[in-house]
Amino acid sequence: MQKGWSIFFGVILLATFLIWFAAPFFGWWLPENISTFGGGVDNLFYAILGLTTFFFVLTEVVLVYAMWKFVDRGGEKSVYTHGNHTLELVWTAIPAALLLGIAIAQIGVWEKIKYQSRMPAPDLTVSVLARQWEWRMRYPLDNQQFHYEDEDQKAASNLKSRLWAENPNFDDVHAINELHVWKNANVKLWIRTLDVLHSFTLPNLRLKQDTLPGKTIPMWFNAEKSNCEFVVRERSTGKPVTLAFNSKTKLVEVVTPSGREPLEARVADLKGELETSGNKADNWEIACQELCGSRHYAMRGRLYVHADEKSYYAWLQYSRGAQKATSLEAAVSMR
Amino acid sequence: MSVSHSHTTETHAHPEMSILRKYVFSEDHKIIGIQFLFTGLIMLFVGGALALLVRLQVGWPNGTIPIIGRWFPASWGEKMSPEFYTMVFSMHASVMIFFVIIPWLTGAFGNFLIPLQIGAPDMAFPKLNMMSYWFMWPALITIIWSFFVEGGAAGSGWTSYPTLASAGMPAGSGFQSPAGPPSGYGQILWLVSLLFVGISSMMGSVNYITTIVNMRAPGMTFFRMPMSIWAMFITAILQAMALPVLTVALILQLLDKTLGTTFFLPPAGMAFGNWHTGPGGGQPLLWQHLFWFYSHPAVYIMILPAMGMVSDIISVFARKPLFGYKPMVYAIAGIAGLGFIVWGHHMFQSGMDPRLGTGFMLATIMIALPSAVKTFNWLGTIWGGNIKYTTAMLNALAFVAMFVIGGLSGIFMAATPVDVYIHDTYFIVAHIHYVLFMSSIFGIFAGIYFWFPKMFGRMMNETWGKVHFVLTFILANCTFYPMHIIGVGGHPRRYYDITIYDVFQHLQPLNVFMSVSAILLGLAQFIFVANFFYSLIWGPRAERNPWHSNTLEWSAPSPPPHGNFEETPVVYRGPYEYGHPDTEQDYAPQTDAKGPAVVAAH
Ligand SMILES: [Cu+2]
Ligand SMILES: [Cu+2]
Repeated sequence: MQKGWSIFFGVILLATFLIWFAAPFFGWWLPENISTFGGGVDNLFYAILGLTTFFFVLTEVVLVYAMWKFVDRGGEKSVYTHGNHTLELVWTAIPAALLLGIAIAQIGVWEKIKYQSRMPAPDLTVSVLARQWEWRMRYPLDNQQFHYEDEDQKAASNLKSRLWAENPNFDDVHAINELHVWKNANVKLWIRTLDVLHSFTLPNLRLKQDTLPGKTIPMWFNAEKSNCEFVVRERSTGKPVTLAFNSKTKLVEVVTPSGREPLEARVADLKGELETSGNKADNWEIACQELCGSRHYAMRGRLYVHADEKSYYAWLQYSRGAQKATSLEAAVSMR
Repeated sequence: MSVSHSHTTETHAHPEMSILRKYVFSEDHKIIGIQFLFTGLIMLFVGGALALLVRLQVGWPNGTIPIIGRWFPASWGEKMSPEFYTMVFSMHASVMIFFVIIPWLTGAFGNFLIPLQIGAPDMAFPKLNMMSYWFMWPALITIIWSFFVEGGAAGSGWTSYPTLASAGMPAGSGFQSPAGPPSGYGQILWLVSLLFVGISSMMGSVNYITTIVNMRAPGMTFFRMPMSIWAMFITAILQAMALPVLTVALILQLLDKTLGTTFFLPPAGMAFGNWHTGPGGGQPLLWQHLFWFYSHPAVYIMILPAMGMVSDIISVFARKPLFGYKPMVYAIAGIAGLGFIVWGHHMFQSGMDPRLGTGFMLATIMIALPSAVKTFNWLGTIWGGNIKYTTAMLNALAFVAMFVIGGLSGIFMAATPVDVYIHDTYFIVAHIHYVLFMSSIFGIFAGIYFWFPKMFGRMMNETWGKVHFVLTFILANCTFYPMHIIGVGGHPRRYYDITIYDVFQHLQPLNVFMSVSAILLGLAQFIFVANFFYSLIWGPRAERNPWHSNTLEWSAPSPPPHGNFEETPVVYRGPYEYGHPDTEQDYAPQTDAKGPAVVAAH
């Protein structure tokens, strides 16, 4: 009867053990990873999961077995011992070595994600400004200015792009809650906040960084998978237009029978649209994960990874044209 | 080290005290301990009700709240507003941490056990002890009052990070907060309340340290003290060293909120909509350093005493000496020491220099080591024992089983890259509840079932105790274990509604399961309360030493009179002489001059 307690403990502990094997089948697991460094994070997660599972099974099996075996035997005395030096040494030294191993193994991944000195030269720089309760993204028209080939120029370039993040340029493109990048691009983000703490979190990138009032914090990532493409159509006919991309100037031009025209200038006759798969799993959302007030939960953004650089710049220049047109309209109506 | 006999007789010299002096403004450590116990029990139900409100919202984010919903303002449509929800989870944590776990472990058990287990007639400073309890009352009143002020109680999380918590209006325009309604008056009262809690805890700590150092009975050397006392001693030291830092932080934030100082406001100031705070000169990150410098050690303040009590209880009911007594003591000391240099692990993603994160990570990973050593020694203690499954023992074993989970899950967040992903997800919520609920609360239950006979002179009902244990063990695991899984799925903490996210909405069925379990778990606690109060009045009378335990408190009458012992006890051996092969009896009280004295030197 008394042995029943060990079975009771055993059953509950077994259930907590099995849920880890069942969860992935219900889809309750890590969301798909799309970043270059996310694999390192996941591997470390699995390594720690393996190690902790081993120690969990070891200790709980010993516990449950002892609860079964050493139940009160009435009259008989228990083993009289105050401890064992060798055992103490063994069960201190082995976990110590394993823990130290884990500690050292992870330093590399952490450095890769967070150290500014390890961040690669950016193909794309974005300024992210958080406020209650939205993410305001700002994109420079010219990304060349922050790119560098030579490591010597890194510090100067970092300073230049940070100053840009803190001091908007008149021709920057603005978007709210939408982060646009392209596949395989090294993206650099400068994140700031206007009011309280927020946390820029993108589970699919295994990326998180709190914003801190008064500080401009660098982040980076490189997405290995795309989820959208920017398609431009004639407003009148609905037919897709042919775009040409000059990878030197990063200018997208519309190819017409009569020649080429800059996309930005033709916004009025064209209709640009982001085409996504419509698949929920490809909706990579940005979630704020540092309490920032009552609508903390609703501070949702979205990551658009364009299939290629051309699609990204088409979106950028189209948006720039639309932005100019609306501000022009606003200026006209003010008169 | 010894206690003069005259002091004992002196305390005996006031037999008739008024009821007010005896039970209300008492200087008797046992009464003060019991006062803390009852206050904690009441606040447990406040904190528990708040927890259920959190679970209602998270489980059914679009549903209306039954019954309570009618009391909400009409504009909310019988639902919780997001503001109300932030208040509810912030106060749940604040109440449970500062008004339940800490007062129970240090206030109730610390007070009750320290003089009794070291053989002293009372605390070193009985008046200070009384004040330590009565300083909880301004804290309680302030925190309860805060629910009724404009904007409601504090809603910036129990961590109260600036600038959400600290932002204020310009001088003369009131104490509302531009950051949100629950960060105004409620936040100010929260700060004031915690200051009082801090004063209370500090008075307790000073008393515990002095008492343990100076008032041990003859023969009670440091290494003959039970683990409970070691744990309380080290906890008191931790508290005495960490609390001043929290106090400073609270005062700074209070000044920011009331006098318009800018300790936590950055030079550029902040903008809320069209309104600007004006320039600051401070740094929001400063709060996080100060807060966690206290609150990480506080995590150990909330578990070490439970570890100590569990060690004692396991040894008693395994009828076997505690395995590795000295390693256990050193492990507690190790946890406490390392506990002061790991606070930065709460701030890996905060925007502090990531290179600092690497340093904090190394210290944090290594703190798992003494915890592992403790676990192995508990297993060593029951191995080869004669385990008696009393309710106290079952709760103590549950502590061990669950602490393993809470300890191991900590390794995930100590690993900086993994923390990038799981920080501020439900994985953290799972971890903290496995340490604070599944471990500390089971430790406290074990302590209550174990020492109830000594506290009140009556036995608790074992059958109902076991019913309560079984239900709590099952339901608490159903409530908290799936939090690990949704945390791995990325479910953020403190979210009013996750179903608006495509990445998270598939996790919602688990939320419903956990919420249902939580409600049942809450209901199961009424069994405990009924058993507690029934036994208090109608329970069978307890003998002096119902568990055949060795420690000093069991040599005093149940309940012990004012002054505790009939005569000053003399200690002949360590506290864990169970099952000695040379004696008939399977235990040897520390005061027993005849028992196996040979091993006393151990
Ligand atoms: Cu936010
Ligand atoms: Cu901590």
